[in-house]
Formats: sequence, C-alpha cells, structure tokens
Amino acid sequence: MAKAFKYGLKGITGFLEPAERELLRSLFDDVVSMLEPGDSGSQDPLAALIGLDMDVREPSDRALRRLLPNVMKDDGAASLEFRQLTERSLRETKIGALRAASLDLDKDELVLAAADARHWSMALNDVRLVLAERLDIQDEADADHVHQMQDWSQAEDVESYLALVYNFTTWLQESLVQAMLQSMESRP
Amino acid sequence: MTLSVALGPDTRESTQTGTAASTDTLTAPDIPWNLVIWNDPVNLMSYVSYVFQSYFGYSETKANKLMMEVHKKGRSIVAHGSKEQVEQHAVAMHGYGLWATVEKATGGNSGGGKSGGPGKGKGKRG
Repeated sequence: MAKAFKYGLKGITGFLEPAERELLRSLFDDVVSMLEPGDSGSQDPLAALIGLDMDVREPSDRALRRLLPNVMKDDGAASLEFRQLTERSLRETKIGALRAASLDLDKDELVLAAADARHWSMALNDVRLVLAERLDIQDEADADHVHQMQDWSQAEDVESYLALVYNFTTWLQESLVQAMLQSMESRP
Repeated sequence: MTLSVALGPDTRESTQTGTAASTDTLTAPDIPWNLVIWNDPVNLMSYVSYVFQSYFGYSETKANKLMMEVHKKGRSIVAHGSKEQVEQHAVAMHGYGLWATVEKATGGNSGGGKSGGPGKGKGKRG
C-alpha cells in the first residue's frame, strides 16, 4: 500500500508500490497526450515561437475544456482571442508538471523538493479533473457518491474501477497538500 | 470543492512565493477588473487554500476565508487589478487547475475578495 505523503527532515516524502507507480505513470501520460497540441503543420513558425496559436478553438471535449477553461464567463469571442495568446503555454505548463511528476516515479521512495511537490499537486489535480469528467461528477452529491466506492474487490466494471482510481488520487493529493501546507508553515 | 481534513491553526502570516513580478501596463489604471474563482466538486479545499497562499501570498486565514466563500457561495473575487494583471492571474490559476474567470468590476468592489456577487450555489460548468 502507498504511504501518505508527510513532511519531515528530508522534506516531503512518500512511498508507492510498483503497481501504484505504474497506474500513476499511465494516468499522467494519458493527460499529457490529451494536452499535446494537435498537428499544426500550417502553424506560422514565428507565431509558434512566441506562443501564439491562431488556429486554436475552445475544446469540444468536456474534460479538456475543464483543463483549459474560457477566461470570460459570457464572452466567447474575447475568450477565444485570449486562448490564441495563452493556451499553448498553458498546455506546456501542464505537460511540464505531468512529465516532471512522471519522472519522479522511477524510485520507490519519493523525496520531493518544494518545486517537485508543486508539480505533483498540479499533476494529480489535472488527473482528478479528467477522471471526474469521465465519472460525470457534476456536483457535491455526485462526488459523495463516488467517494463511497472504497473497496477494490467491488471493482467489477469500468466505472467502479475509475471511481476507485479517483479516490486513490484524491487521497494521495490530500496527503501531499497537507504536507506542503506544513512545509510552508515551518519555513522561516 | 471536496472536503479536506485538519486545517491547521490560522497563525501564519503571508509568505510570498509564486507571485510573478507585475509589469507596468499602459492601460487605464482606474478601470478595475476582478479575478473570480468558481466552485467545483473536484478541487480539494486544502488545495484551493494552498494555491491562494502560495501564489497570491495570502495568509492562511485570508486564503481559507476566500476558499470557504468559493465553496459556500459558488464563487469569490480573490484579486483585483488591471485587465492584464487579472488575466495573468487567471492563466496561473488555470495552470493549477482552478476554475478562474475575469470580469469587469461593477463599481464599489474594493473590499479585497469581500463581494460574493450573484453566484448562487454550485457553479455550473461553462
């Protein structure tokens, strides 16, 4: 079993079983492949260099739309214009955090410096946002319902398996964030 | 948001870490914009508070207060500034996975995240 993250003399530490590391690695990789921009062969190289993407559109996939939300509630045109300026670098930020977390999975014991922990918390959060869309968690009642699912022996279909994975990543992120808050408190 | 356990005592003062240096802009400084964070059933309450503390440098007390406002009222204004400033914050919030939007302040909103606005209950997804 995984051990909760904790803050101590070595910094933030955690422990994951090989199967848990494999699971997290594939989750991180899945979200990376969702976020990798599509084939933009027509992309103006200069625009690409400075991070502009004039071909970008609001994502049709709900999970991706949650990862890359509109910046204005009721102004699609202004949101799209903003997306053209910022979405590429936002995708890169997220991919960077997911890849960094994935690299840390090479060892049994996780020892995370402050920046690593931040990447992990962002990566776990994005994984949870995607799983939540797949599980159709729309409100707190849905979240409570999914949270009931704690027994791996009950995992008999894709949805219950996803619910267990969601609950595992929730538990892991919660323990990580508590350790990060503790490390912030004890900073001079 | 999802409930977290064991929020610590609210004794810590603000620590500034993640806030990018703001650059001067040429837009009219007297047109304020708001950064709004919306509730969702996924983000952990502890994580939202952590982001407010580490990115904005808010004290634990202030971060938790804003986090609870998001949770209970469905949304909260967590920062003000020029359009460019709040847009920069919004991208950072999206990087953390928080659901953030920007909006023009509708007058009288100088209360540092005080005004809850018309948000009711759970945020609908947009």
